[in-house]
Amino acid sequence: MTLDFLEPLLFAVLAAAILGAALAVVLADRVTTSALFMALAFLNMAGMFVLLGAETIAAFQVLIYVGAITVLILYGVMFTPQSPRAYGLFFQKQTPAGALIAALAALPVMAIAFSFRDSGAPPQRGGDLVPLGSSIFTDFAFAFEVAGVLLLAATIGAIALVRRERP
Amino acid sequence: MSLVPLGAFIAVSAALFFIGLGGVLVRRNAIVILMCVELMLNAANLALVAFSRRLGLVDERGSVFVVFVFVVAACEVAVGLAIVLAAYRNRPVIDVDQMAEIRG
Repeated sequence: MTLDFLEPLLFAVLAAAILGAALAVVLADRVTTSALFMALAFLNMAGMFVLLGAETIAAFQVLIYVGAITVLILYGVMFTPQSPRAYGLFFQKQTPAGALIAALAALPVMAIAFSFRDSGAPPQRGGDLVPLGSSIFTDFAFAFEVAGVLLLAATIGAIALVRRERP
Repeated sequence: MSLVPLGAFIAVSAALFFIGLGGVLVRRNAIVILMCVELMLNAANLALVAFSRRLGLVDERGSVFVVFVFVVAACEVAVGLAIVLAAYRNRPVIDVDQMAEIRG
């Protein structure tokens, strides 16, 4: 019981890293910097999933978000030369209105967020792989197949969109 | 009982969501907007996993939805980047306010 401080400490570190990296994504000048901070936020989110006991989701998070999506976005950055006026972030006409709308929407939600309480039931043990797999392949089997079709359609659509016409 | 309350996880999730929303509204670079959308999706994932693990009375339904959100996020970023690249090839701008000719 002497290690009770460890879980809140880990949570604080992960939460600070996630929110700091997300702010850096929004505020960074260079797009490559934003992409790498996004990868940092996703990696810390995987730690948050482990803290919640969802190890399988954490592994998927590292594989899909930190691996695939970050690399894909970095490729997108490399293929499009960025505009030189990156420093104009705080001098754009939509910045005050956009920030105001986001803050106004955030206030009531943040007030409600802290009011959620645990159910009092003992936390589930044994990881989430077995219940996750049995749910996906029984109750959600049809949705699983549709997700596969969606991935195929997205692959074909992306290839068709960026294909060059042969001369 | 767990040492970190459920409300703390939900608060982090909500804060991350609204940081992403602010980024979508404020930034003009199309690729940065895509990144902020990914952040918002990930915030929703955190809320789903937290509710599923802490309140989940029926096995792990929330985590199943998180898997499908992963699939949709991967599709979205692939198609979104393809659209950005195709638009960039037509006219070499990356800022969304200069892509005005895309509209209807």
